[in-house]
Amino acid sequence: MNPYVLATLLSSLGLGTTLTFASSHWLLAWMGLEINTLAITPLMAQHHHPRAVEATTKYFLTQATAAAMILFASTTNAWMTGEWSINDLSNPIASTMFMAALALKIGLAPMHFWMPEVLQGLDLLTGLILSTWQKLAPFALIIQTAQTIDPLLLTLLGISSTLVGGWGGLNQTQLRKILAYSSIAHMGWMIIVIQYAPQLTLIALGTYIIMTSAAFLTLKMSLTTKINTLATTWSKSPILTSTTALVLLSLGGLPPLTGFMPKWLILQELTKQDLPIIATAMALTALISLYFYLRLCYAMTLTISPNMINSTTPWRTQTTQTSLPLALFTTAALGLLPMAPAILMLTT
Amino acid sequence: MTYFMFLLLMALVVGLVAVASNPTPYFAALGLVVAAGVGCGVLVGHGGSFLSLVLFLIYLGGMLVVFAYSAALAAEPFPEAWGSRSVLGYVLVYLLGVGLVAGIFWGGWYEGSWVVVDGLKEFSVLRGDISGVAVMYSSGGGMLVICAWVLLLTLLVVLELTRGLSRGALRAV
Repeated sequence: MNPYVLATLLSSLGLGTTLTFASSHWLLAWMGLEINTLAITPLMAQHHHPRAVEATTKYFLTQATAAAMILFASTTNAWMTGEWSINDLSNPIASTMFMAALALKIGLAPMHFWMPEVLQGLDLLTGLILSTWQKLAPFALIIQTAQTIDPLLLTLLGISSTLVGGWGGLNQTQLRKILAYSSIAHMGWMIIVIQYAPQLTLIALGTYIIMTSAAFLTLKMSLTTKINTLATTWSKSPILTSTTALVLLSLGGLPPLTGFMPKWLILQELTKQDLPIIATAMALTALISLYFYLRLCYAMTLTISPNMINSTTPWRTQTTQTSLPLALFTTAALGLLPMAPAILMLTT
Repeated sequence: MTYFMFLLLMALVVGLVAVASNPTPYFAALGLVVAAGVGCGVLVGHGGSFLSLVLFLIYLGGMLVVFAYSAALAAEPFPEAWGSRSVLGYVLVYLLGVGLVAGIFWGGWYEGSWVVVDGLKEFSVLRGDISGVAVMYSSGGGMLVICAWVLLLTLLVVLELTRGLSRGALRAV
């Protein structure tokens, strides 16, 4: 892409999120969300093949619908209560509509249907931006308004997201769709606890961004998009093979890896709030997701799939891709669990 | 006056139904013209005459004209107006939905909302909408700068998306 256009788009991505973070007025927050949607559209369609263009169209339609609903909710609130401030979303119609709109924006079940197809049509780096950066601005709004939203809605969104994320990912062989369902499940975990302890939502969001960045960057480094090709990447980089297995298990939430931290703290908070059934349900749905993460580990690391003898050990030349982000994110995705008290203190 | 407002609002909803029922874009633009026109009438009825004139000029006279020319370039051999079977189905379903919602919400919800733009009605020179524009340029200057950036961004986005003419279009391969 033209470097000037690329610079404009990337800086607008930053501008949109910053605008939503910094705003206390609904119109400015909506503008930030729309800037994000606009700026990522050409990045998604840059390869111009029909699947990418279709993914771009679907993404644009869903995000525009969600943004229109946000505008509608905020104008309804302004009409009924006269308040344009984000923290004062006191009208129940407006707050429920707003939560539905944001659920559509971040891909919470039952508004998740666009996510797998959209992620499947993108290349891995754009999919990474979609899964991580585009979630920050809506979560800033959700955290600010969570106190006024109906608790039943939040709980239903959370539980259904983890269920859908688990069950939907079970039958997939395409890695981007698996990561899409993983994203849906993690969003469910973040939403379930937001009414009780928003700092745990922040921790869950932060660790999710780290882990999914590690996963996407690994796939980009070994240029795989399906389980079949994942099974033969063990020979390209043995270190990557071992760390990817651990990153996937971290996404699944196993101790002593980083992914255990949010799940553990969230389950503890739910238990403290006297919601043992919800906590048990969340833990069981995490088990469903763990199954397909384990399948990926098995395919990549724990077995050697049938292969031609003269293709098992390719030349391991130095990679031309930048490996520093991958190294950073992988280290963080594996080793941050002992930092849990510090992280809790930083986000409270 | 109330009946006139009622008529304008009915025409607005009918115009929106005409757009949403998915005819050929050329006819949908006609629906948009009707909807925007009566929307301007509603604005005038509430005292926002400047805003209504600006809306007419810029939206109808600028953006919709450009859209009509572009839609005319993409003309179809068999255009579907609101009489064709598929579009008529949509029109009837949407009108049914409108009737349903009107039946549920009939009376009582709008009485608190039909106020004028500002409290002084005819006794001031600077009306609410004109002074609102002035405030937008003074206190809201930062937002206008961001709007200008967004316009530039939109231009670059559209140019980047449509680069290569028919290569990137959504087509059945």
